[in-house]
Parts: sequence; structure tokens; C-alpha cells
Amino acid sequence: MTGDARGRREFWVAQRENLRIAIDALRANKLRSVLTVIGNVVAVMSVIAVVSIIDGLNTYVTDKVLEQGLGVLTIDKYGFIQTDDEWREAQKRRDLTLDDAKALEARMSLAERVVAQSTGRKRVRFGRTELQGVDVVGTTAGYEYVSKVEVAQGRHLDENDVDRRRPVCLIGSQLAEQFFSRRDPLNESIRVGGYELRVVGVIEERGSVLGMSRDNVVIIPLGQYYRMFGSRAELSFLVKAKPGVETERLEDEARVILRAQRHVPLGAPDDFGMTTAETFQAFWKNLTGGIFAGTIALVAISLVVGGIVIMNIMLVAVTERTREIGIRKALGARRSDLLSQFLSEAVVLSLFGGFIGVAAGILVSLLIRSITPLPAAIQPWSIVLSLGVASSVGLFFGVYPAARASQLDPIVALRQE
Amino acid sequence: MTEPKSPAAAADSANANGSLIDIRDVRKVYVMGTNEVNALDGVDLQVRPGEYLAIMGPSGSGKSTLMNMIGCLDTPTSGSYKLRGTEIRERDDDELARIRNQEIGFIFQTFNLLPRADALHNVELPLIYAGKPAKARRARAQELLALVGLGDRMHHRPNELSGGQRQRVAIARALVNDPSIVLADEPTGNLDTKTGQEIMALLGEIHQKGNTVILVTHEEDIAAHAERVVRLRDGKIESDRRHAAGAGPSS
Repeated sequence: MTGDARGRREFWVAQRENLRIAIDALRANKLRSVLTVIGNVVAVMSVIAVVSIIDGLNTYVTDKVLEQGLGVLTIDKYGFIQTDDEWREAQKRRDLTLDDAKALEARMSLAERVVAQSTGRKRVRFGRTELQGVDVVGTTAGYEYVSKVEVAQGRHLDENDVDRRRPVCLIGSQLAEQFFSRRDPLNESIRVGGYELRVVGVIEERGSVLGMSRDNVVIIPLGQYYRMFGSRAELSFLVKAKPGVETERLEDEARVILRAQRHVPLGAPDDFGMTTAETFQAFWKNLTGGIFAGTIALVAISLVVGGIVIMNIMLVAVTERTREIGIRKALGARRSDLLSQFLSEAVVLSLFGGFIGVAAGILVSLLIRSITPLPAAIQPWSIVLSLGVASSVGLFFGVYPAARASQLDPIVALRQE
Repeated sequence: MTEPKSPAAAADSANANGSLIDIRDVRKVYVMGTNEVNALDGVDLQVRPGEYLAIMGPSGSGKSTLMNMIGCLDTPTSGSYKLRGTEIRERDDDELARIRNQEIGFIFQTFNLLPRADALHNVELPLIYAGKPAKARRARAQELLALVGLGDRMHHRPNELSGGQRQRVAIARALVNDPSIVLADEPTGNLDTKTGQEIMALLGEIHQKGNTVILVTHEEDIAAHAERVVRLRDGKIESDRRHAAGAGPSS
């Protein structure tokens, strides 16, 4: 056998023994071990849970962004509101009117399409079945180009429907199922807020966001909507850019036209708000950055505290097992053998906490998935990362106790009672 | 300890002058506060391979220090200790560990077994530090446990064994790496008389098979098992006598 091979074999013989000692020690002090590694448990659990939550939020946000569509500008009274003050201020503003929408449509050169919409809730009835709180969207034509609406059956609302305020509607897949489970919904009449409307199309299933179904919806011509909700209903505009037009330029053009149309004095702030997918994404980056920073702080604190606790318990273990150390030295253990023995023990202890943390983290994210609408998903890399960090903590904080063990004088150690 | 060592083989591994242990003018000074204590004060001792030697002396005579020195747990302040021709004073910590592992088999008064490990694992320990693979280790440890009469107690932990059985495990452990010296420190000190006699008989057998046995004791009738008795007093050798070969106790 070559010297190298012998060295490797001796190394693995020693490592197997170290692992055995470490697991024996863990089993001999179960409660103490669990208490020792609470810091690691918290740290690893936080990493796994937070990563899965953020991943869930990401999925949600991506969904949301895709729904609105990139390159689509939303204009309403509020814009992107983040504080109560902004909310109060925005409420004082004048509503957007259909004339504003017409001005945008007539004068914007960068917009491919301008759609005005309003949303409310009504009860909807077909035969003896009545549904409460159905979302009713009144819209001008072209909505299918600015938002994610596809027809599964029948047709979209068109210019004629809108211009002539025809009593027609497009219904969500949930409504189609509940009203017309065994028959063709097309050309049936449903009652929406007291008005008879003929079904001309069924929308493709869209699923739910944050627990709210997007299939429990009726889309009707804006004129019909005014009849139901009154002509002062709050409008929002969806403006789609022509291909290749940057959102910023689109925003600028819309802003200039709207300010002129609404006679906003020079230097006064806009009396309307604009939101784009990009606004949302910027806000989102900010938010997740905050969550991450908070998590990192929590994790760092738990790891430092946890590491110090592990170091203390390892010092206790070295004291308790001074005699064992003496015996091992008498039998031929070198300093490096004892160093690696106690280092392994600290790492195993630390990893033990890590594994509990992984289990707890998975539990937390499953819990979040089941009680909230967030699609929290466990990321394998977060498990690998946090276990890696946990074992490094054991390694780092185990060095001092292990060095103490390895430097004990065997004669003194053997004399210990 | 599978086969007895032939005298020729033993001589091969000895010092130039034929002794296994060659101690010359060894001193060990401990500093206690402002006092200096001469635990060993110019000791000369030669031990040939295959000898059965007892070191005696009252407490404070330096016999523990001498034992630690012979066992390579401690190094002299001055003088020379050669074990199989190797000067121990010049060795560093890791080399001393290797020498203890290869050359010395310790037997302690308090047995010093690892409480959480079973008999087999306790006996395997020196082989682990020698880097022997698991299979060979197991076979060798089983062989020695059978030799000391514990073939049916391999998976018992120390607290499941009697005092005599524990000391037998310790003896198996001392022999497992085939050491040059078996070093027994008051091996019967924690045993009743009858069990003590059994252990001494076992040590006698081990000696008969060609091992060098060094016994440290303060009991005359235990020392009487040895062929040669060295008495220490105040860190100096007071007497060094040989009895008739293999004399029994108080015969």
C-alpha cells in the first residue's frame, strides 16, 4: 500500500469513529442537545420559510404583472398608493370621465388602444340560481388587448355592443359552470342587477389571485354598466403602447393630454394616478429587499447566539469527558484526532439543529400555503444553503472547545474523577 | 498476543545493550508555586524484553511519575530514556502518541473504559488510532476478548460488567496492538482479593507468552508475582532485587 492510500484510509477510519462518537454523545444527551441547537433551528427555519414565502410572492406578482401585461398603462384616480395620506389626498380628486378617455384616444400618438373600465358588484341570477357579489366589469371595446381575457366559447364584446349599449354579456367560467352545468350558455339570458342580459361568450378559466377568484365575473358594455350603477361610476383607463414605445414616453404623453383635458394648473400635481407593471415591479423589489434584509438580520443573530451556546455546551462536554480524553490520549490518540473528534461533534450537533430547522421550515411553508393564498414553494437550494451555514457555525464555534480538548495533558486528564 | 515472541525477535527490537527500556540518570522536576519538587532524582533502570517487573514505593516516592515516563505520557526534565533505542525526550506530542499506541499497553486501577462504548469497541480503540480498517479491527478485538474469557460479553457496556470483567476488557485492550510493554498501574486496586488473584494469574499468563510486563503497586503480595522488584523512595531507586524466576505470592 502506498503512503497516500494509507493516509486516506486512516483518515476515513478516524472520521467514522468521530461520527460514531458524535452520534453517541447526541443520543446520550437528547434534551440538552435539542436545547443547545435552538438558535440553529430558528435560523434554518427562517431561511427556508422566508425563501419559500418570497418565492410564493414572486409567483403571485409575476402572475399579476402578466395579467396587466407589460407595456400597459393603468390610469385612475389613485395610482399606486402606499400610504394612508396618499389615499386621503387621492380621494379628493375628481373622477376620471369618459370624455377624458375620448381625449386620450383622439390625441395620443403612442397609444395603440385606450380602454375605459369600471368595476362593481351585483347579484346575478339565472332561473332559480342566484349568486351574490359577482364582479361586474363595464368596459369599452378592445379590453381583450389590454388585459388577460380569452374567450373559451362564443365571442368577445365588440364595438357595436358597446356603442349601442346592447344588453349582452361575457361570463366567467365559474358562472358558466354554476348556471349552465349541463347546457349551452350561449344566447341564454341571465339577470344582472335587475337587467336581462344575453350571454354571447364564456371566458377561459383564469384561476385566482390571493384567494379571490377571477372567474366569478361578468363583462358588459360600459353603457349597460352606467344603467346599473349610475353614470357617475368611477372609471379607470387602460392604455396600451404601440409596439416599441417605452412605457415612460407613453406615460409622459398621457400625462400631458390628461392635464390639459382636466385643466390642471401649471406646477400643480397630477389629479390622477398612473401605474405600470414596471411600477409594481419596482415596489416589489423594494419590498422583498426589506424582507430579505430582515431575515438576514434575524438569521445572523440566531446563528451567533446559537453558535455561542454550542461553544458553551461543547466546553461543558470537554470538561465532562476529560477522563475520556485522557484515556484516548493514553491509547494513542494524537492532538489532531481529538481536535477532529470534538469538531465533528460540534458540526453534528449543529447539523442536528439544522435538520430540525429544515423540518420546521417545511412545516411553516406548508402551513402558509394551506391557510393563505400564497403559493409558497420550498426551494431545495435554501435547504442546502442553510444546512451548509449551520454546519459552518458548528465548525467555527467548535474550534475553541476542540482545541482545549486536544491540548489537555493526558496525565492530568486521567487523574480527573 | 497471538504467538509468544521469540527471544531473538525481542532482542532485535531492543537497545544496543540488549535492554528494551534504558533509563539513565533521569530527573523530573515539578514546579509547585515557588518550590521545585524532584519527583525523580537521578533514576537508572534497564529492563530487558520479556521481563516481569514490579515498581514499588510509598505514595510520593515517584513511582507514578516513573510509570508515566515509561508509558510515554510524560518526558524527563533531564537524563535519557530510550525505548527500543528511541530517545523519548526528543519526541514531540504526536510522536509520543504514536509510541503509546504502538509500544505501550496500559492497564489502570480504575479500568478506564469508555462508558458509552461496548466491550468490543473499547478493545478496538487502540486499533482505531492505529488506523486499522474496521473488519481487521473487529476480528482482532474479538480474538483478544475471547482470550481473556469474555467471548460472550462483547456487546456489554462497562456498567453491565463486573469489576473483574472490566479489568479483563482493559487487559484485552492493552494487548490488542501487540505492544512492547504492558504497563499495569495497581491493576487489582479496585478488585476484591479473589478477583485480584484471577487478574494476576492472567497477567502471569501474558508474561509467560513472552510479553514484558511492568507492574506498579504498593502491595507486597501483588509485587511478589513479578520476577524483579524495584523499590523507589524520594525519587531514587532504593533497591532492585530479583527473585527466583516466576515465584508465586508469599511462597
